[in-house]
Amino acid sequence: MSVKAAALAVLLVALVALPPLAEPYVLHVAIVVLINAVYAEALYVIMRMGYLSFGHAGYIALGAYTSALLATKLGVSPWLGILAGACVAAGFAWLLGLVTLKLRGIYFSLSVFAFAEVVNAVFRAVDAFGGPAGIANVPRPSIGGVQLNGHLGFYYVVLAAAVMSLLFLYRLAATRFGFTLLALRTHDTEALAESVGIASARHKTLAFVISCFFCGLMGAIHCHYLRFVSPFVFTFFFSTDLVIFNMVGGLGSFWGPLAGSVLLTALGEQLFAAGYYKSLVYALVLLVVILALPGGLIQLPRMREAWAARRLRLAKAPVTAVER
Amino acid sequence: MEIYLPLLAQGLAIGLLTGILYVLVALGLTLIYGILHIVNFAHGEIYMLGAMAVFYFHVVGGLPLAPTLLAIVVLSLLFGLAIERGVFRSLRGQWLQLVVASVGISLVIQSVGWIVFGIQEKTVPTYVPGIVQLLGVRLPRERLLAAGVAVVLVAGLYVLVYRTKVGLAMRAIEEDEETARMLGVNANRVAALSVALGFVLAAVAGAFVAPIYSLNPGMGLEPILMSFLIIIVGGLGSITGTVLAGLLVGVLQSVGGVLFGAEAAYGLVFAVMIAVLVVRPAGLLGRA
Repeated sequence: MSVKAAALAVLLVALVALPPLAEPYVLHVAIVVLINAVYAEALYVIMRMGYLSFGHAGYIALGAYTSALLATKLGVSPWLGILAGACVAAGFAWLLGLVTLKLRGIYFSLSVFAFAEVVNAVFRAVDAFGGPAGIANVPRPSIGGVQLNGHLGFYYVVLAAAVMSLLFLYRLAATRFGFTLLALRTHDTEALAESVGIASARHKTLAFVISCFFCGLMGAIHCHYLRFVSPFVFTFFFSTDLVIFNMVGGLGSFWGPLAGSVLLTALGEQLFAAGYYKSLVYALVLLVVILALPGGLIQLPRMREAWAARRLRLAKAPVTAVER
Repeated sequence: MEIYLPLLAQGLAIGLLTGILYVLVALGLTLIYGILHIVNFAHGEIYMLGAMAVFYFHVVGGLPLAPTLLAIVVLSLLFGLAIERGVFRSLRGQWLQLVVASVGISLVIQSVGWIVFGIQEKTVPTYVPGIVQLLGVRLPRERLLAAGVAVVLVAGLYVLVYRTKVGLAMRAIEEDEETARMLGVNANRVAALSVALGFVLAAVAGAFVAPIYSLNPGMGLEPILMSFLIIIVGGLGSITGTVLAGLLVGVLQSVGGVLFGAEAAYGLVFAVMIAVLVVRPAGLLGRA
């Protein structure tokens, strides 16, 4: 454990100290990786309790648009806008969660997916929200009167936001609340949890709100980074990328979605110029992992035993998701 | 505000004709849901491939329409069998993995589609030109043909599911897979057949809408979204529910489009879905 802590400390120092030496392109990749890592971990909050969302991009878009509109139309400071974006996303999550979290499994996935499509349709349809062209010239935030126009300054903003968000989500998983979510993973265990007095609906709603809060927060930051948002940025394919990060990394622990998002985003940025090849590579990696490595990349170290067991026909699928 | 009544009738008629096509796509989803208990996200891509096949075989290749359709049916059937055997079968019972795998397949087909077919929109000339005038409503023959085919296929599916032995096996597996297996139902074969039939329905729907819309590899998203709304409203797994909800959504979208504009109609359909979810979470005809 202390080795792990030391490694993390070294990583953190490197993330703070090295960037001034890095080229802008490397900084850009680092920024995108950090943003995606938070999205993936935010989604993991609900995936951990057995809920699959194909609509998280909708909440990211809500955060992005809120902050972009506040900054461009009303001249509100991006710092306030980012907070407002997170709250708007969380608010909508609360409303939709009240209705849809009662549903398990595929019903939930579909209704969240449909909601995200409608969010983008509304942004596309309403001229006050920028219409199909979206909103351009979204300002970068400034510190002490200096606008963070370069990559370096903005990198530190993203780093700070990402580290705090990830730390919060990591600690959350180890709280009583976090473990309760784990108990809600299936219909049967949820009934069991309720029988010992756990208000499952309230837990699920709060988890969904937290998940979408961080998506909205990072969405707003993302938008200020891009200086632009349109209905075609945070689409269904963005939502599926987040699911892919989770599945490829593995749902067994906090480190799975983190590993998946960091590895695939870094890979994806290399393929960015290759158009649709990025999406193709993501999808192929996803299918290979689902079929051949059911626990995701974080299960790799344990795969030797699993394969040996499979050879001995001791168990058909020995790799199950085990929390930490 | 004055509403021109014939325009409303026109909207209603077009809505029904569109709705029955939605039903065709959504029924394939319902069929697969009944067996695998997941929705197949790759469904829209099969629909797209059906339309693209018309373009490449019929328009570019010069193959007559009938053999083109036959080829589409055979190819989508084989494709469905292959996907079921290669991907879905080993994931049976794990709904999350199954759904995500179907998304993966959808992304693979779509990105290969963009790479192979290109971003240029493609058009297919009409199969049957002309317009039918009926009670003051003008209906393109094309849409009537597509709707007619859809009605025949929906009826055929009803017969298959409720009047044949295979259909009985499908319903038995949906009801209680373990018992069905114990009584000698070959669940794998039935699953393969359901997936393949679902694929055929989607591909045929794509083939018949090809002249109505312009084609690109992303064209599957809109009907698949509508199908998801439809099966949620109708109740997952319920064929009658799917048919009713499909017609309802088609009409809502079309009439809503006439009254309030296309984007608002989209919102209207979604509002109906939310209302159904609040009042009857299992859908209009679904079982809880």
